[in-house]
Amino acid sequence: MLSALRDAGGPATAGWVQERLGSDLAYTTVITILTRLLAKGAVTRERVGRSFAWLAVADQAGLAARKMRRVLDAEGDRGAVLASFVTGLGPDDERLLRELLGQSRDALGESGDALGRSRDALGQSGDVPGQSRDALGRSRDGGED
Amino acid sequence: MGVFVFLPLVLPLTAWPVARLAEQHLHPRTATRLLTGVAAVMAVCSTVCLGLLMVVGTAQLPGNPLPDGWSDPEVREAVPYDEVVGRAAIPALCVVALACARTLWRHGRTRRRAHRALAGLPRTEVAVLPDATPYAYALPGGRRDRIVVTTALLDRLEPAERRALFAHERAHLAARHHRHLLAVQLAARANPFLRPLRTAVAYTAERWADEDAAQKVGSRRTVARAIGRAALVSRAAPPAAFVGFAGFAAPGPVPRRVAALLGPAPLGRRWPSVFTTVGLAAWGAAAGTAVSAMSSANSAVTMIFILHAATPL
Repeated sequence: MLSALRDAGGPATAGWVQERLGSDLAYTTVITILTRLLAKGAVTRERVGRSFAWLAVADQAGLAARKMRRVLDAEGDRGAVLASFVTGLGPDDERLLRELLGQSRDALGESGDALGRSRDALGQSGDVPGQSRDALGRSRDGGED
Repeated sequence: MGVFVFLPLVLPLTAWPVARLAEQHLHPRTATRLLTGVAAVMAVCSTVCLGLLMVVGTAQLPGNPLPDGWSDPEVREAVPYDEVVGRAAIPALCVVALACARTLWRHGRTRRRAHRALAGLPRTEVAVLPDATPYAYALPGGRRDRIVVTTALLDRLEPAERRALFAHERAHLAARHHRHLLAVQLAARANPFLRPLRTAVAYTAERWADEDAAQKVGSRRTVARAIGRAALVSRAAPPAAFVGFAGFAAPGPVPRRVAALLGPAPLGRRWPSVFTTVGLAAWGAAAGTAVSAMSSANSAVTMIFILHAATPL
């Protein structure tokens, strides 16, 4: 039932779930199971017209994330309303930050690590060990200058 | 009174050196409160001054509904170039009112929308969103205060750094920093000369939260590392306005915060002693600001008295 809801990719009605499962579950049975899942916190529901639309909770978080992104993108000057943890870095800030973090001995490797990971995230290349090792090495070189 | 009438409009210029000194030398908590207070007082004085100039300069003009007595010749004598200034004050006041209303409206709308986006999630203090973009912020909302953080950011932080992140955001919420930020934003709308104070308060509020977080987790270096790492992974493009001045750009707020955390802790005392260089500068700045604010208020009050005396009510 949960996987059917997750496949829906959005809020789905109990009727849709029943159809999707294709088995000979009665509509009331579907409702009962959904209500039990609701009590367990595995699904949520919202009223749509006269019935409920059901949503798996993992989906709910994804939905919230997408909504939040829309809110943040609409807000051109984000810092104006929400105090975010970090603000954007200027052109020289990145180098400066690495130098600062490089000062503390243990932070050097970690900042290089962060660099590698962020490169991966930017390139969306997943885990390419050579790339991140390369980045780590380079940042070490930079730190020793 | 002469040109002194215009003083409240230009006195906010004195806030620039004050902001700079406070930012560098005072404890971030003291600096945030001081600068917010200064910005609010100066903005109110400047707006009142604009309003009075408008009244005095234009009340006698045909078609203006205000009582003509409000701009008797004696009153107008107090204001140089009264008609020109009065006419100029009308659009200026409209701009201020519109800009402030827009800021308030946008603030409310963004907060409402953000809360609505989280409505379906369990009502926990921390809302973790599955998102590939690393970000984190404190979302104020009275009893519904929340910390929003994405999995992308949490995955890249170590446990101690995560604690630092949460402590930082909780400090923002506990000290109601959004009110300070909103106040200085409105002040900057009321008088553009107050913009440096907005930037300064945005920075000192972050520093305040950083220091609180450092105290909570017991390690300044951990907080510094958390900030540095979060900044490196979320490396957004800098605000467009600064790109043009890249060559002259001073270090951005993030490296300065990290540098401050790697340095010694700021003094817990509210004010440094007058007998040190820092103390002298801070006290001098504070006294200067107080005088500026007082004379702003003085000009405004004097004009109100003149109007009151001249009004046949």
